Amino acid sequence: MTTFAELRPVETRFRLDPELMAGPIYRKYEKATRKVWGAKDLDYEPDASDWARMTDEQRSGIATITVRFEAGEQEVTDELLPMLAAAHALGRFDWVMYLSTFMLEEARHSEFFAVWHARVPGLMTPADKAAYWPLREHTVDPQGRFKVGEPVYEGLSAYGQRLSAAVASGDETAIEGAFVQFATLYCAWIEGVLTMPSYEIVIDTTQLWDVLPALRQGFRNILGDEGRHITFGTQACRILIAKNPAYEALAHEVIDEYRGNAVGMLEYQRRVPGLDLDKYQRQKVRHYLNRCRELGITPDSTLVDQILDPEIDFVVGVEAG
Amino acid sequence: MARRWECLEPGCGVTLAAASDDELVAAVHDHVREAHDSYELEEIILAAAEGDEE
Repeated sequence: MTTFAELRPVETRFRLDPELMAGPIYRKYEKATRKVWGAKDLDYEPDASDWARMTDEQRSGIATITVRFEAGEQEVTDELLPMLAAAHALGRFDWVMYLSTFMLEEARHSEFFAVWHARVPGLMTPADKAAYWPLREHTVDPQGRFKVGEPVYEGLSAYGQRLSAAVASGDETAIEGAFVQFATLYCAWIEGVLTMPSYEIVIDTTQLWDVLPALRQGFRNILGDEGRHITFGTQACRILIAKNPAYEALAHEVIDEYRGNAVGMLEYQRRVPGLDLDKYQRQKVRHYLNRCRELGITPDSTLVDQILDPEIDFVVGVEAG
Repeated sequence: MARRWECLEPGCGVTLAAASDDELVAAVHDHVREAHDSYELEEIILAAAEGDEE
């Protein structure tokens, strides 16, 4: 009779070896465990005082972005699990370790925005927050060339289901390909390109208006975490693409699906008064080129041209609220 | 060999060099703030840094 120790040799039960602990993904895990911060440790009183003296236009411009962040952080917390399951299925224990901090950080970001909304603008209920949410379909390309999609609310769920199905199949190539698409969408495109202007808008405007220090500090803390998330995703994909160069096309495919979200500034990014929107478009290109460099893939030059093309931009057809 | 990093902001292409990761991160922060009124995250800089520390 075969013993369990023969089926599962004791040596295989140890995963964390010195080589893994010297690697870049384990280093991210270590850094994440050193950089823990608490949403409830920030002082929200100065923000509440500032909020009371800000104009309605300023308050609306900021809240339109922060409610998107609160919902977005909750969505990504809830949709991360397939990436963790895939790391397990691929036998990448350092990825599993790092992703445990990744999920915790997304949960902390969710908590931060819920606390800030409760203590500063007094937005307590989903209905309070929804009132500041311009709908995506209100963003329109007047030339009709580009469609603005919902990469967070539709894309992550769809690509997560594909990744979960690949994990269930046990087919390593399918898991790797689905992982490349999910991580490219989540870490490289959403976190690493599309969301970046919103961070800059909030940090720029709160500095310019000299208001909301807790919100600005929270955004800076979140950005520190996001730097690890983005580069984990791109490093993991780079490893898989180096193993099978056919995966590069899968990365481009998922970016192309949501290309329309990058070629102009979106409805919720246009509500803050006095911004140089061209600056944020140029930065999107820098972020996209950075992601391609990290992924080890060739940038799509037509996408770069379209992001920079002043003839391509969106209009917001109907205001919410 | 020094640590190097190339800026990919459209129209820039500046390459910065420093003796260590810490010095490179500081130099990139200064460059991106002064030249582009923006910021770059430490992890992003380190992910693209090339060469060995002196």
